[in-house]
Amino acid sequence: MKLKRSVALAASALLAAGALSSCASDSTSSTDGAEGTTAGPITEFPAQWEDEITIDVFSGLANYMGMQTGWFAQVVKDKFNMNLNIIAPNVAGGGDTLYNTRVAAGDLGDLIVTDKGTRMNELIQGGLLLDMADYYPAMEHVAEFDTAVQHLNEGTDGVYATPTQVSSLLPTQSSEGFDPTFGPFIRWDLYAELGYPEIDTLEDLLPVLKGMQELHPTTENGQTVYPLSLFKDWDGNMMVTGKQPTTFYGYDEVGFVLAKADGSDYQSIIDSDSEYIRTMRFYYEANQMGLMDPESTTQNYDTLFSKFQNGQVLFSWWPWLGQSAFNTDANTSAGKGFMIAPLKDMEIFSYGAEAYGGDQVIAIGSQAEDPERMAAFIDWLYSPEGTYMNNSQTMGAAGPEGLTWEIAEDGEPALTDFGLEVFLGGDATVPEEWGGGSYIDGTSALNVSAVLPEDTDTATGLPFSYKSWPSYQEHTETALHADWSEHMGGAMTTMEYLEQNDAVLVAPGASFTTPTDSSEIETLRNQIKDVVVTYSWQLVFAQDDAQFESLLADLQSKAEGLGFAQVLEVDMANAKAQNDARLAITAAFE
Amino acid sequence: MTTSSVVQETVATTVDHQGSGPGSTEPGKTATPAKGDKPARRRKTNFGMFLWVSPFLVLAFLFSYFPLYGWIYSLYDYKPALGLSGSEFVGFQWFRLLVSSPAQVEQIGKVLTNTFAISFLGIATSVLPLIFAVFLNEVRVKWFRNMVQTLTTLPNFISWVLVYMIAFSLFSSTGLVNDVLMDAGLITTPMKFLDSDQHVWLTMTAWSIWKGLGWGAIIYLAAIAGVDPSLYESAKMDGAGRFQTMWYVTIPQLMPTYLVLLLLSVANLLNNGMEQYFVFQNAFNKEHIQVLDLYVYNIGLTGNSMSMATAIGMLKSLISVVLLFTVNAIAKRVRGQSLV
Repeated sequence: MKLKRSVALAASALLAAGALSSCASDSTSSTDGAEGTTAGPITEFPAQWEDEITIDVFSGLANYMGMQTGWFAQVVKDKFNMNLNIIAPNVAGGGDTLYNTRVAAGDLGDLIVTDKGTRMNELIQGGLLLDMADYYPAMEHVAEFDTAVQHLNEGTDGVYATPTQVSSLLPTQSSEGFDPTFGPFIRWDLYAELGYPEIDTLEDLLPVLKGMQELHPTTENGQTVYPLSLFKDWDGNMMVTGKQPTTFYGYDEVGFVLAKADGSDYQSIIDSDSEYIRTMRFYYEANQMGLMDPESTTQNYDTLFSKFQNGQVLFSWWPWLGQSAFNTDANTSAGKGFMIAPLKDMEIFSYGAEAYGGDQVIAIGSQAEDPERMAAFIDWLYSPEGTYMNNSQTMGAAGPEGLTWEIAEDGEPALTDFGLEVFLGGDATVPEEWGGGSYIDGTSALNVSAVLPEDTDTATGLPFSYKSWPSYQEHTETALHADWSEHMGGAMTTMEYLEQNDAVLVAPGASFTTPTDSSEIETLRNQIKDVVVTYSWQLVFAQDDAQFESLLADLQSKAEGLGFAQVLEVDMANAKAQNDARLAITAAFE
Repeated sequence: MTTSSVVQETVATTVDHQGSGPGSTEPGKTATPAKGDKPARRRKTNFGMFLWVSPFLVLAFLFSYFPLYGWIYSLYDYKPALGLSGSEFVGFQWFRLLVSSPAQVEQIGKVLTNTFAISFLGIATSVLPLIFAVFLNEVRVKWFRNMVQTLTTLPNFISWVLVYMIAFSLFSSTGLVNDVLMDAGLITTPMKFLDSDQHVWLTMTAWSIWKGLGWGAIIYLAAIAGVDPSLYESAKMDGAGRFQTMWYVTIPQLMPTYLVLLLLSVANLLNNGMEQYFVFQNAFNKEHIQVLDLYVYNIGLTGNSMSMATAIGMLKSLISVVLLFTVNAIAKRVRGQSLV
C-alpha cells in the first residue's frame, strides 16, 4: 500500500512539476535576452566554419516556407556551412499569429527580417534581438552604409539591426530602376488586337478589358479567362488589391489614410469619394460585367501567380507579377506579354531611394545558435557577391557570377546563355556543380534586398540589377517591346515612358518610421482593419448597386462606431509628419 | 473528465479499503493499537482516501483553477515580446473599451447570438443520433448494419481541416458541384456555397451533424443492447408491431441516457469550439460564423490584442456562471432540489 501511495504521490508531483515548468519556461526565456557569447569585439570573421548548423530564418518578406533548396542553399552551405530553414508568416497566414506565438516563446529565429519602428523597438526592449556591436567592426560590407546603420540604431545602446535597400542614390531619385513598383499592366497583345483604344482614366479600363476577354475567352488549355483576379493573403489595413489602383494616382497608405506622394492630398480610405472606394466601385463594376474571377475570394498569391503564367488573367497591378509570370522569351517574341497601359491621367507612385534604408531590417535573434556566423552571413548579404545572389529575384537579382552572368569582353556585365534562358525563358535546370534543380526554385527565399538592386556596383560601374544592363536591354528587343515602344512615343523602358509623360510621382525616401501606436489605438485599429477588409470583399462581390451602397454605409457606420475617427486622427498626423520628413530630406540632400 | 475520475476515485477507495482492512498482513500494521480505537483508525482511513483523491485534486487545480491566473493579462497591455513584467499595467482599460461604444457592444452581442444560435441548433438536433440508433437497431442484416455504423462513425475521426478540404473541393466556385451544374447547363455562374452569408448557422449545424451522427449514436446503441429482452417479448405478446415496440419500449428505455446527455450539452452551451468555424470562416460569412471562442482567437492572435481577448474570454466565465444559477433555480423549482 505504501508503494501505491508513493507512486501516486510521485506521479502527481511529476505532473505538477511538469505543468508548472512548462508554464514557467515561457516567462524566463524571454527575460534572459541579449547576452553575447563572445569575449569582446572581433575584427575578422573566421574563414571556415567547423560545425554544420541549421538556422531558423524568420522573414516577414518571404513567400516560401521550409528549407532553402537549390543553388542558393548550396552557396550558403559552401560559404557558411549552414542550412536555412525559412519561417514565413506570409505563407502561414493568420496575420500576426505566427509572430506572436514565436515572440511569446522568446525565440523568433536565428536570423530575423522584420519591420523597423514598433516591431524592432518592441523586440529590442523584450530582449529578443542580439546586440551586434561586438561583431560590427568585422562587418566590413555593412560598414559601407554606416550612416544608415547608425541612423537605424539611434536611441538604442548597440547595433541591433541593419537596414535594407541601402544605396548611394539620392532620396529624390526613384529607387525602382526601369520598372516602377506599381502600374496598370495589361496584356499588350490583346490590347493591340483591339486597336489600341484610348484609356482616359481607370474606369475606361473596364470596356477595354471586356473587349480583350471577348477576343480571348479561354486559354490554350481551356481555362476560362477572367481579366481581373484578386487574392487575399496580403490584406492588412485594407484589401491589398484595393489599394493598388490608388497608387496609379500617386497615393500610398499610412494606416487608414491615403497620402499623395507630393503631400498635396490626404484621404480617409472609407470616405465615399476616396480613391480606395473608387477602386471598390471599379472592381464591383468589373464583377457585374463578368470580368472578375470568382475564385478571387479563396485563392492565394501562389495560385494567382500560376494563373498569370497560364494566361488566365489580363491585368496586373505590378510588373513583378504580370511581367515576371507571363513575359517569357517564348511569349514576348511571339508578341505576347504584359506592358504598362497608357492611362492618360495616371501619376504613378514611385518610392525614392530611402536615404537610410527601407522598411525592413535584418537582425540576429538573441537565442541564435551561432551569433558570429549570423553576423558574417548578414555582412555577406551586403557584399557585391551577396547582393547579386541574394536580392529578390523578381527585382532583378542577377544570380551567381559565372552561372547566370559574366563580365563580357567590353568589361560590362552580361547574362550568359544560361542566364538568358532563366530570365527570358522563365527557368532552367541548374548544372550539378551549382546544386542542380530549378534555378527559380533555388533562388534566395529570404526575399529581402540588403542593398538596393539599383545601386551601382563600383566594380562594373553599372547597377546590380541585370534589368538595367545595356546588354540585357538589347535582348529585350522583342516583337512585344517593339510594338509597345512604337505606340508609346518611342520609349525604351516603362520608367522612360512615365518620365516623358510626367506620369510618375517620386516620394522622397526619408526612411520615415511611423511612431508606435498606443495600445488602445492599436486595438481599435486591428478591429477596424478587420471590418474594412471584410466589407471590402463584400463590396466587390455585391449583388447590385443598392446592396453596394448599403454595404458601404454599413462599413462606414461600423468603422465609425469602433472609433475610426480616433485612429484616423493618428494616421493623419503620421502622414503629415511623413511628408515633413520627405521635405526635410530633400532639402538636406540638395 | 468528471465521470471517468469519479469511477477511478471509487475504484481507488475500494482498493484502499481492501488494503487497510482488518485482514491486512502488512508489517507496519502490527504496531497499531488494539481493536477498539475506532476514531484514529477512521482518521487514518480518511487520510488514505484523501491521498487517493489528491492526484485528481491536483489535476483539477492545475487545469481548472491555475489557468484563472491568466486573467491577470486582461489588466495589462500585454506585448508578447516584452513579457508580462515588461508590459504596462492598464487596469480596467480593456473592459471599458468593450463597452465604450455601441458598435463594440453590438459586435459582442452579435457574437453571443451566433454562439447561442449554433449551440441551440446543436441541442435541437441532438435527438437525431437517438433516432438514427433506434432505426439502425431495427436493421436485421448484420453486415449491413455494421457497415452503416462504421461509415457513419468514420467522419468523427476526420479533423475539421480535412472536412473543410472536402467541403472546398465539392462546394467552392470551381468545385465538383458547380462544375457538374455548369456542365449540365443548369446554371451559368457558379453558385456560392462557401463564401455566402446565407444560412450559415444551418450549414454549420449540418456539417457537425454529418461529422458527429454515427459517433453520437454509439452510446444509444449500447443502451439499446442493455434493454431487457423480456420487455420486447411481452410487448410482442400484447400484439405490438415493430414501430410500436420502438415507440413504447426502445425510446422510453433510452430517455434517461438522452436526458443525461442533453444536460451535459446544455452545460457546454458556450463551448461550441472554434476549429469548425475557424476553417469555414471568410469575409462573407464572418458576421454569422464568429462564435465566442473564434472571436477571442481572432482578436487575440490574429488581431494582436491578447489582453483584450482575455477580457472577452472572461465574459464566457461570467455568462457560464449566470447560466448555471439560472438552471439551478429552474431545477430547484421543478424538482425541489438544487444542483449546487
